[in-house]
Amino acid sequence: MQISTDEMPGGITRVALDGRMDIAGAAVVDLKMNLIAGSAKKLLIDLQKVDFLGSMGLRSIVLPARAVNSRGGKVVLFAPNAMVESVLKTSGIDSLLPIHRDLDAAVAALA
Amino acid sequence: MHASNPSGPELRLTLKSQLADLTLVWSWVEALAAHHSLSAETQFAIQLCLQEALSNVIRHGYSGQADQPITVECASTSRGEIIFVVEDHAPPFDPLAHPHAGQAPAPASIAELEPGGQGIRLMRGFAHRAAYQRLPNGNRLTLAFTLPH
Repeated sequence: MQISTDEMPGGITRVALDGRMDIAGAAVVDLKMNLIAGSAKKLLIDLQKVDFLGSMGLRSIVLPARAVNSRGGKVVLFAPNAMVESVLKTSGIDSLLPIHRDLDAAVAALA
Repeated sequence: MHASNPSGPELRLTLKSQLADLTLVWSWVEALAAHHSLSAETQFAIQLCLQEALSNVIRHGYSGQADQPITVECASTSRGEIIFVVEDHAPPFDPLAHPHAGQAPAPASIAELEPGGQGIRLMRGFAHRAAYQRLPNGNRLTLAFTLPH
C-alpha cells in the first residue's frame, strides 16, 4: 500500500492511494492521511489505483474526511474502480463524500 | 465434505486469530476463484466478506486473543452457489445481530459517520446470503455467493 500527495492549483491537496485498502493497507496509510487532513482545506482522495476497499479502509478515508469537513473544508473521492465504488455506495459514504470520475468535475466540486 | 481436492485448491483454510493471518486468505481465494472461473466481481465480494468476517472473529469473537483457531471451508451447492463457512471456537458472537447489520439507515451527515461498524453492512451487501449458527463450542458463519451460469 502506498500513499503520495501533491498540491494542485486552487489550493487542492491530492492524496493518491495505491494498493489494497484492507486492514494492513489502512494501517500503512493512516498516519499520513491524518497528517494531511490536519491541514488540507480541499482534499481530493485519488482512488484510481486502489484495488480493494474494506471497512478499515473506509475508516481511513472517513476519519480524515471528517477532520477536513469539521474545519469547513471539502473532500471529494476521485475515480474509484467499479468494485471499490460499490463498496463506497453500499456503505452509504458516497452520499456524504461525493465520487467524481472526471477530474474537472472533482476540482469544480472543491471550489 | 473433503478437506482437500487433488484436482484443485485446498477446500479448507486454517488460520490463527491474528490479523497477520488474513493475508493467507487472499491467495487461497484467488486459487479458488481461478478453479471455479469466478468473475472478478464475485472474487472481490468473497475477499471482502471473508476479510470482514474473519476480522470480526479475531477482534470480537476472540476479543483479540491470538493463536486461536479459525477455519474457512469452501463448497459449491446444488443451488448454483459457492459457499464459505467460517468456524471458530469463540464465545457466542453473532455478527449479523449487530445493530449495524445493514438495517440501520445510512448516516445523515459526515459527523455521524461511524468510522468502523461498516463490516456487517458490507457483508450483507456483497454476499448473496449470510447465516449465523451457534455451535456447541463456537460460531459458524455461512456466506453464499451466486455462481455464474
